[in-house]
Amino acid sequence: MKLDPAFIWTAFVKLLPAIPITLYLTVISVLAGLLFGTGIALLRIYRVPVLSQIASGYVTFIRGTPMLVHLYLVYFGLPAIIDVVSESFGWSFRSVSVPYFVFAVIAFTITASAYMSEVVRSGLLAVNRGQLEAAHSIGMTTPQALRRIVFPQAFAASLPNLTNSLIGMLHGSTLAFTVSVVEIMAKAQIVASTNWKFFEAYLAAALIFWGLTVLIERIAARVERRINVYNRGGVA
Amino acid sequence: MIQLSRITKSFGRHEVLKGIDLNVGKGEVVAILGPSGSGKTTLLRCINFLERPSGGTVAIGEAKADGKHPSKKDIRELRLKSAMVFQHYNLFRHKTALENVMEGLVIVRKIPKEKARAKSVEVLEKVGLGAKIDAYPSQLSGGQQQRVGIARALALEPEVILFDEPTSALDPELVGEVLEVIRRIAKEGITMVVVTHEMGFARDVANRVVFMDEGAVIEEGDPREIFAKPKQERTKQFLKRITPEPNYSI
Repeated sequence: MKLDPAFIWTAFVKLLPAIPITLYLTVISVLAGLLFGTGIALLRIYRVPVLSQIASGYVTFIRGTPMLVHLYLVYFGLPAIIDVVSESFGWSFRSVSVPYFVFAVIAFTITASAYMSEVVRSGLLAVNRGQLEAAHSIGMTTPQALRRIVFPQAFAASLPNLTNSLIGMLHGSTLAFTVSVVEIMAKAQIVASTNWKFFEAYLAAALIFWGLTVLIERIAARVERRINVYNRGGVA
Repeated sequence: MIQLSRITKSFGRHEVLKGIDLNVGKGEVVAILGPSGSGKTTLLRCINFLERPSGGTVAIGEAKADGKHPSKKDIRELRLKSAMVFQHYNLFRHKTALENVMEGLVIVRKIPKEKARAKSVEVLEKVGLGAKIDAYPSQLSGGQQQRVGIARALALEPEVILFDEPTSALDPELVGEVLEVIRRIAKEGITMVVVTHEMGFARDVANRVVFMDEGAVIEEGDPREIFAKPKQERTKQFLKRITPEPNYSI
C-alpha cells in the first residue's frame, strides 16, 4: 500500500460538509439526555416511590447494553410501533416518512439520558445539604432552591464529567452510519470506497474528530474557569 | 411570638425531644444551653421545620403548623416569619456576599432588584462588611462569613431569628466579632432564639436561658439567677464543667 498524502487533504475537505450532521446528532442527544437525565436523577435522589425504581432499572439496562444495540432496537422496533399506533388511529402517517436521522437521535438520547443521569446525580450529591437548608430557611420553595441554589453548584461540580460524556457521545455518534445517516464516518467510508483509499479517508476523519474534541475541551475549560470563580479561595 | 407545645422528635427509636413546651415573647432573647446531645439544635431546627417534629405544634405569630402533619403552606408561613443563622454559615457558595443577602429579598419577598440591593448593602454595612460585598464566601474568613449569614437573616426582617451555635465553628479569635454583631441586633429588640456554648454571651445578652438535657427542659429563668444559683443538680454540674469560661464580651 502506498500512502497518498494529498488525498488526506482531499478527503478532509470532502468530510467537512458532514460535520453539522455529527454535531446535530451529538448536541441534540446530549441536551435532551441532560434534561431527561436530570429528571431521572431527581427521581432517584428523592426516592419517589415506583418511579425511582423504574428510573434505576432504566439506568442499569441502558448502561448495561451497548449504544449500538439501542440504535438497532429503536431503528427496527420504533417504526413498527409508530405504524401500529398510526393505523389504529386511522392516520395516514407512516414510519417510512420519518428520516433516519430522527431514529438515531432518539436512540442516542436514550443512551445519553442514562449516562447523564449519573453525571447529574453525582453533581447533585456533591452539593452540601446545608445549601438547601439555608435556601429553605429564607423561605424558598424546593423548586426555587433547586433552580437557584442547588443546580448551579451541581452543574459546576459535574462539568468535568459532562465534558467527558459529551466527548463520548460525539464519538459514539459515528454509529449512526449503520442506519444510513451520513455523518462524518459514513461520509469517510463513501469517500474511501469510491477512491479506494481507506487509510487516508479515515485518517482525515480522525483529524476532524480530534479537532472537534479539542474544541470541546477548550470551551469546557473556559466555562469551568468562569463558573468556578467562587471556588477560588482567598482567606479561609 | 413563638409557641412550642409538646414538641417531640424521634430518630428511629431514639427519642431526642421528649415533649417540649417553650414560649418566647416578642423582643425576647432566649439562649438555649445544655450538653451536646441534649437536643437543643434539634429543637431549634423544629421551629422552622428543617427538622420535622414527631409531634406537637409550632407557632410563630399567626403562623401555626402541626408537627406531625404540617401542610406545605404552613411550613412556608413559618419560614417566612423566621430566619436562621447556621453553625457552618451555609452561605450560598456560588453567590457573592451581596447576592447572598439579596437572594431572599428578590426571590422570596419579590422586592425589586434595586431596592433589594440598597437594603442588602445597608445591612452588610451594619455587620461591618461594607467593603466585602462582592467577595465570594470562599474569599472570606469564618467570622466574616458568619456575619454575612447574619446579614442574610437580618435583611429579611423576620419576626424571629434562630441562631444555631453561631460561633461553634469559628477560630477563637473570630468569635468576638460575631458575638458583637449578635449583641448589637439583640439590642434592637429582634426576637432571637440562640443555641450557644458561650456562657458569657448568654449571661450578658439573653433575657432568659433555657437549660436542656436529654431532650427535656431542666431549668429556665433569668440568666443572672440561673448562673449564680442553679436549682437543679444537672444544671449545677453542667455549669461547673463549663466554667471557668473565657469572657469574650467587648
